[in-house]
Amino acid sequence: MKTKSALFKDHMVELRLFGVLLALMVILSLISDRFLTVDNLTNVLWSVCLIGIMTTGAIYAPITGGIDLSVASMAALAGILANVFMNTLGMNWIVAIVLTLIIGAGIGWLNGVVTTKFLVPAFIVTMAAKTYLFGVAMLVSNGDQITIMQPAPFLQIGIGKFLGIPIPIYIMFALVIVSHILLKKTVFGRRAIAVGANEVSAKLTGVNPDRTRIIVYTISSVTATIAGIVMASLTQQAYAMNATGYELDVITAIVVGGTSLMGGSGSVIGALIGAVMVGFINNGLNLLDMPSAYHPIATGIVILVALIMNQGISVPAVLKKWFARPGAAETAK
Amino acid sequence: MSNNVKSDLLLECRGIDKNYNGPQVLDKVDFSLRRGEIHALVGENGAGKSTLIKIVTGITNRNAGTIVFDGHEIPVEHNKNASEKLGIAVIYQELSLIHGMTVAQNIFLTKEPLLPGLPFIDIKKMNAMAQAMIEKYGFDLKPTDIIDKLPIAQRQTVEILKALSNKASLMIMDEPTSSLTAKESERLFKIIRMLKDEGITVVYISHRMEEVYDLSDRVTVLRDGKLVSVLEGDEITPAEIIRLMIGRELTEDESHHKMVDKRDREAVLEVRDLCAEGKLNNISFKLHKGEVLGFGGLVGSGRTELMRAIYGIDAFDSGEIAYLGKPYSPTVERSIAGGFGFVPEERRLQGIMGGISITGNIGIANLDSISSPAGFINSDKELERSHKAISTLNIKPANPDHLVGNLSGGNQQKVVVGKWLIRDLKLLIVDEPTVGVDIGAKEEMYQTIDRLSKEGVAVMVVSSDLPELTRLSDRIIVLRKGRIIKEFTEGVVTEEEVLRAASGIVEGSAK
Repeated sequence: MKTKSALFKDHMVELRLFGVLLALMVILSLISDRFLTVDNLTNVLWSVCLIGIMTTGAIYAPITGGIDLSVASMAALAGILANVFMNTLGMNWIVAIVLTLIIGAGIGWLNGVVTTKFLVPAFIVTMAAKTYLFGVAMLVSNGDQITIMQPAPFLQIGIGKFLGIPIPIYIMFALVIVSHILLKKTVFGRRAIAVGANEVSAKLTGVNPDRTRIIVYTISSVTATIAGIVMASLTQQAYAMNATGYELDVITAIVVGGTSLMGGSGSVIGALIGAVMVGFINNGLNLLDMPSAYHPIATGIVILVALIMNQGISVPAVLKKWFARPGAAETAK
Repeated sequence: MSNNVKSDLLLECRGIDKNYNGPQVLDKVDFSLRRGEIHALVGENGAGKSTLIKIVTGITNRNAGTIVFDGHEIPVEHNKNASEKLGIAVIYQELSLIHGMTVAQNIFLTKEPLLPGLPFIDIKKMNAMAQAMIEKYGFDLKPTDIIDKLPIAQRQTVEILKALSNKASLMIMDEPTSSLTAKESERLFKIIRMLKDEGITVVYISHRMEEVYDLSDRVTVLRDGKLVSVLEGDEITPAEIIRLMIGRELTEDESHHKMVDKRDREAVLEVRDLCAEGKLNNISFKLHKGEVLGFGGLVGSGRTELMRAIYGIDAFDSGEIAYLGKPYSPTVERSIAGGFGFVPEERRLQGIMGGISITGNIGIANLDSISSPAGFINSDKELERSHKAISTLNIKPANPDHLVGNLSGGNQQKVVVGKWLIRDLKLLIVDEPTVGVDIGAKEEMYQTIDRLSKEGVAVMVVSSDLPELTRLSDRIIVLRKGRIIKEFTEGVVTEEEVLRAASGIVEGSAK
């Protein structure tokens, strides 16, 4: 009994989001009979899996009160590097992936070190990283759209299926589970939340905020690298522009999922639901044959509505106060 | 009281009542200021000084009473902007200045001179106006200095100029010398006297008796929210002010709380010649098993700095620390692993994680005992620890999922203490343990400290609340300007004795 209510309480945000997601699904299935089919739902999951994968690691930055804007450039560079290792340098595909992951981790580590030890705000550090990583990606790929023809096992990561479901979806769910456990069930997760909630208090209680943050940015970069490898395999392409703008989709999924950019709380599952929700809306607009210009409009509205809901502020109360203001100012005079 | 002609008085407060939905903070307080006087407002922590000032400046509203300022009746629904327009200014140390701006920009913020007929700021004119003011008072400033680059003492002079540019007739200075050096303080006093000569009334709030004694024309003493006395002329002596501030005989309970000499016990902590530039000067003392060692002193006397250095937050320049008989070089992690607990001064800023549950706050100090070696949290153990802390300290509501930010001050503080109690605690440092805590929780906090000391935990208590310090301590060390100035080891120490030592009044000279 007690554990049941605790479980409910622990996952309030996720449950509420899931409710909104279900409502959205009902609406979409009423609007279009093509919506509620296995193929279409798989499609939606497939379309959000790169964002979903990035989100599982990138979420730790806002949890500690920071942000990582470099994930998209990191992903693009990862695909290009993996291709160079495999097809230019002729490495075994597993070795190439491991090497790419190590480089990704190194770049994340660097972001963390500059943020914590040189006290440059994470926003700036990761924006700089976004810029120079894109530059490196252009340099290494010569700005070309390189088609990846082989090796076959590498390409299976992106286009392979198991039980009829694409492998990237499995990767996404696996990472969501790992990340969820890391956040909720490990010492590291506790420390990350504590640093975001009150860094001074955390420090006085024995948490090392710098070390925690460095790990956070390393994790963020590693999941971006994984997304980049999946993306290269999925699109069979290594191209510097491949993930342009994804960092904003990632942040959208995170905040819609109930994670505050101020730090101190976060939900990996919420972020996944957030990503899927955006996917559904775009999917719905596609099914309705709406022009693609409506997609960003709908996404923007979803972000605002979701965030206003997450703030827990009653809209009528705000409006009432707003309109009451001029009168109050007059009496004060 | 004297029969003042009304026009002599700049400010006249009568029968001011204030309660923050609870205990009476101000109880029918009368407070008046003559034009052009330097008037000190003194009282112990919690006497109601700050509340009175907040009411005068419109930061909070009174529950009852009348205020007349310069012939204007001030309504209950007063606000800060309105009080500034009337000419009431509060000199903060640095809070109200914008750091990235220049001196002139700060002085004339929101009332910048404009180029004739244009919506653009006349920078030349503004700087010239600032320069004129600076020269008039002989301050060591340039209009184009950036606030960031100025030491605190000079920022204060900018604050004063800003107030003058607002045509302030009343300036309120709250502990203006707490972070100034002796020389800087002297210069501030000169400035205050210049303001007086200009006909500006200055309210001076300070714990430093010698300053009050030197500067003031009159002194208003508050105690427990009530007006005790208004002193004038020869009546103003440091000893008299202290007597009035404390103003009561020892209660039965307090006289029973004699200090206990525990110095024959095993030493837990030994500090030798600890020095930190500008903060601590050759501090040496021993702390024994089960001993409660109180640290008295004024704000800025180095008490908090000493605690932070021992716990490992701030580095020190020289000196040695031994913990449990072994040389100890402190870091926070080492201290926690070694059995320290630390309850910081500022609960909201440093103590709690408001957005997290009680369990989360307790857990973060006990990650080692609630997790497996691989780093996985054992939720059952975590919850058990949380319940244990909640029941030991009677935290209300007794709901481990409750967000700490939504608890009352007393219960928040219990959480901050509680996270250490479920460890193998050997040394507890508490800095101002009961600020903003209600009386019930205060007493519980005292009982907790008593109990810990009986269990053999060594405790260091920093407190500006003198009854609290004397109530808790087995021994009291008084710091002044980073040095140990006095140690009380036996008998019953009165608050008066502690305050006199902290204020630097030499034995026997004042009375």
